[in-house]
Amino acid sequence: MSKIFWDRLIVFEEVEAEIKKVAKTPEEKEELWKEIDEIIHHKLMGCVLEKLPKEHHHEFLQEFEKAPHNEGLFKFLTEKVGEDIEDFLKLETEKLKTELLQLIKGK
Amino acid sequence: MKSSADMITPDYLRNKLRLKNLEVRESFAQKFPEVNKFLTNKGIDLGKIREHSAKIIGAGALTGTLLFAPPGNIKNLPPLSEIISSIKDLAQDSVGDLPQKFLIDVLKSILPERARPLTGDEEKKLEQVFEKVVGVRAKANLEGEHLNTTYGYIGAEQHLARYPGDNINNHPKIPVGDEGMAPGLGAWGYFSRSRENLSKSLEETEKWYAVVQTLYLPDWNKRVKYLREWYKYRKVLIVNTDNGNAVVAAIADSGPAAWTGKHFGGSPEVMEYLGGPRYKKGPVLIFFVDDPENKIPLGPVDYNDVKVIKDYV
Repeated sequence: MSKIFWDRLIVFEEVEAEIKKVAKTPEEKEELWKEIDEIIHHKLMGCVLEKLPKEHHHEFLQEFEKAPHNEGLFKFLTEKVGEDIEDFLKLETEKLKTELLQLIKGK
Repeated sequence: MKSSADMITPDYLRNKLRLKNLEVRESFAQKFPEVNKFLTNKGIDLGKIREHSAKIIGAGALTGTLLFAPPGNIKNLPPLSEIISSIKDLAQDSVGDLPQKFLIDVLKSILPERARPLTGDEEKKLEQVFEKVVGVRAKANLEGEHLNTTYGYIGAEQHLARYPGDNINNHPKIPVGDEGMAPGLGAWGYFSRSRENLSKSLEETEKWYAVVQTLYLPDWNKRVKYLREWYKYRKVLIVNTDNGNAVVAAIADSGPAAWTGKHFGGSPEVMEYLGGPRYKKGPVLIFFVDDPENKIPLGPVDYNDVKVIKDYV
């Protein structure tokens, strides 16, 4: 299986619905999904690292590399950042969703 | 008048998304050069982190992760002997519950509070429960194949085109809240070459279809030829863990995308049976139906006949 610890915060159903309207074949659909997946991971990792004090970057990256699916990383981040990282990431994912929808709809 | 989606082609959208992808990659590399270096040295492309995750989990790291998971998401499971004993009580009518109520209670005692991939122990117990209470032999691992997760969220899908020219006007619909027809084809294309060639069995396959994330299977790209055939119309038992409704469905599409908060999909008919006309998303268990002689029909599983349980115990 494949899982990233922030997966459960990302609920982009409207984005998926828009992709389905455009993609004509399953291959096209999956290709577009993968582009979006790549954007999400860079954006969210950027958000995490901006919030996390630099002295903890290396430790976080080591843990992330060992187990990117590990939801215990939320606890680690919340402790080091000093605020609920899940709430922060939820807000950031909402912004990203809006951005992606605008891009897909050509606005 | 054409909608914006009609005017946007897949190529146009792919180029736009690729540009955006390059833009975020470049911005990330500029802001965090040391992180980029760390990941590159480890041979990790952040954009393809799912592939790295799949390799790690595939290598058996999941057990360790569960130990590291937040408390409350792991339960002390009831022993299998205790579950079987309570099934016997149910069969002897000594508890006075309908099997469906019993199933809901047993699922509560086994399943974690939040949907996540289950451990082998949890899956083995559920297999026993499904066989003895629901009356369907179902396996988390069948012929060496295992889904990404057997416990997750299912979302409502649309009807699939069964043959060239099939459209919503001649397609059977559910009476309330029908989702309409998917603009594209399912992962295995049309069910038949023409309307005349559409057998009753294929009609049923489309009516009771399920969607699973084959595209994220760790070895999908390596074994695509074999896996495509193996998963095509593979029968699965889907159980709504909130109300115990169960349906046997056939896998006919790949998805949903990992970033939707969903792990599976169901046809309008599957979703209506699992949770009613307004049911769009909810937690379910999905296990492969072990039916080598192809005797189990697609569609709803009515297991509230206590005699079924008596035969199995």
